[in-house]
Amino acid sequence: MATRAHEVVADRGDVRVGGETVRRPRKSLILRREGWLAYVLLAPSLIVIFFMVAYPFFTAVYLSLQNKMVGAPGRWVGLANYVELFHDDVFLRTAWNSVVYTVVAVALKFVLGLTMALILDQPRRFNNVFRTLLFVPWAVPVIIVALNWRWIFDDLSGFLNNFLITFHLSNNIISWLSDPALAMGCVIAVVVWAGTPLYSMTFLAGLQAIPRELYEAAEIDGASVVQQFFFVTVPRLKTIFLTTVMLSTIWTATNLQFVFILTRGGPASRTEIFPHLAFMTALGARRLGMGAAVSLVFFPVLMVLIIVLTRRMLRPADD
Amino acid sequence: MRSINRTRRLLMWLGNGLLVVMLVWTLVPFYWMIATSLKKDREIYGFEATLVPRQPTLANYTRLFTTTPFVKYVRNSTIISVGTTVFSLVFGCLGAYALARLRFPGRSLIARGLVVTYLVPPSLLFIPLFAVMSTLSLIDTHEGLVLAYLGFSVPFATWLLMGYFRSVPVELEEAALVDGCTRLGSLIRVILPMSLPALAVVAFFAFTQSWNEFLYANVFVNSVEVRTITTGLTLFVVEDVFFWGPMMGASFLSTLPPLVLYLVFQRWVVKGLTLGGVKG
Repeated sequence: MATRAHEVVADRGDVRVGGETVRRPRKSLILRREGWLAYVLLAPSLIVIFFMVAYPFFTAVYLSLQNKMVGAPGRWVGLANYVELFHDDVFLRTAWNSVVYTVVAVALKFVLGLTMALILDQPRRFNNVFRTLLFVPWAVPVIIVALNWRWIFDDLSGFLNNFLITFHLSNNIISWLSDPALAMGCVIAVVVWAGTPLYSMTFLAGLQAIPRELYEAAEIDGASVVQQFFFVTVPRLKTIFLTTVMLSTIWTATNLQFVFILTRGGPASRTEIFPHLAFMTALGARRLGMGAAVSLVFFPVLMVLIIVLTRRMLRPADD
Repeated sequence: MRSINRTRRLLMWLGNGLLVVMLVWTLVPFYWMIATSLKKDREIYGFEATLVPRQPTLANYTRLFTTTPFVKYVRNSTIISVGTTVFSLVFGCLGAYALARLRFPGRSLIARGLVVTYLVPPSLLFIPLFAVMSTLSLIDTHEGLVLAYLGFSVPFATWLLMGYFRSVPVELEEAALVDGCTRLGSLIRVILPMSLPALAVVAFFAFTQSWNEFLYANVFVNSVEVRTITTGLTLFVVEDVFFWGPMMGASFLSTLPPLVLYLVFQRWVVKGLTLGGVKG
């Protein structure tokens, strides 16, 4: 095959003049070696990726080994930044928060998303209207979601306190975002509000792709509704479940906008998570090197997800 | 059989109930956003705060257009989002064509690299990118932000289009090449017309992701002349005091472009989503 492909390149001129006279395996015309052209076509993308992703990534690693400040040259400090981090109470608190935040938010989005998808899969009039409405949060810019909820949670005039007091459900003002016991719950609620539609959209698409005959067959075999769910629906959706959860875990764990707007990590670091701490360290405290270290500490976990996902995302397409 | 039907009916009612709860949970924040934007300050703050605007007014919107740089922010967001969309489409088509139709050393490595770069989150990159942008004097420029956004939109575009181009029958293109079409000609005349849904998905995601982006826009831009809508909104906060009326008005207006696009492209968007096309 390889040599044949070479021959095709050799008689490239002939191909244009009298294609039908040249015998060659199918596809050879399209898939022949034209390496130079491929690199030319890919050049713009590769340049962008190099300067905007690859180079910055390795610079981040390099920076994390320095004590660089904004506007001042850095000195090589080896792993000192990382060592300092692991002796820092705020950092340890942040690590714990990040895990809780990500796991709880992803789990809730999954359960709510699946429930929403199952409901929208039931036969009902106007279902497409309900679907459109329920998916709307997905289209709203995250920063606007966060600002809007901050206003809902507002102590004195926000919707929540206003509503509770108007309808005599509570007599005093609740400080949703500054109460240490409530803040994390509130942040997660907002993350879930914004993120659930992604899950329901992908799950619903998966549900609708399941042939109805499978359910009919299961029913004839005497399977209950619950059994049908666990033995027909779940196995069919397993791939979609996994891909969605992994993608969403990456985006949830690394999104700092919710915390940035809602709580700024407070009260007393109760809602501080890695990406926000990295942001505050690098641009608030102007410690670029340390900020890079904070953002990279979490990376090994992400890397595992990225590798697994890359395999999955290329599987159907790559031959 | 009968018990199954009874369970079904029960689940139907349960579903209807939950549907109502979910609709309320989803829509109340929108209600609050729009209601606030239509209130006078007196109804927004303090003891006279209301749940329903008593005297609806468009004063907040007037204020937005006359005394704030809102229009400038919208202009900047539009320039940057359209720029990102155009370049993602062009770069994506060219790269995807190479990966789908040409054989060359490093092909599968590049394909893999694209997906990996797409999955590397911006929160890992903004610190060093800030240094890169400073070195290239791209801080406070539209071009700088477009470039930064291409970093996530081009890999996605290339990857999605690569899959789609492969599904276009090879024979069609072969015929075009035999008839004397160049490679670029066959990409434009044969493949692209057959890939319109995929191009729409790519355009949709490139536009909305740039329009909604906050982190890069916040770090790489300080000047009001380049500031985008997402970072501009946070500036309605002055010294920890929020001007909620105009801010909710601005929020509502800036949600409209992605919202309208979502309503128009709904069907195709889900296809892109199931492929892993969004950060949410």
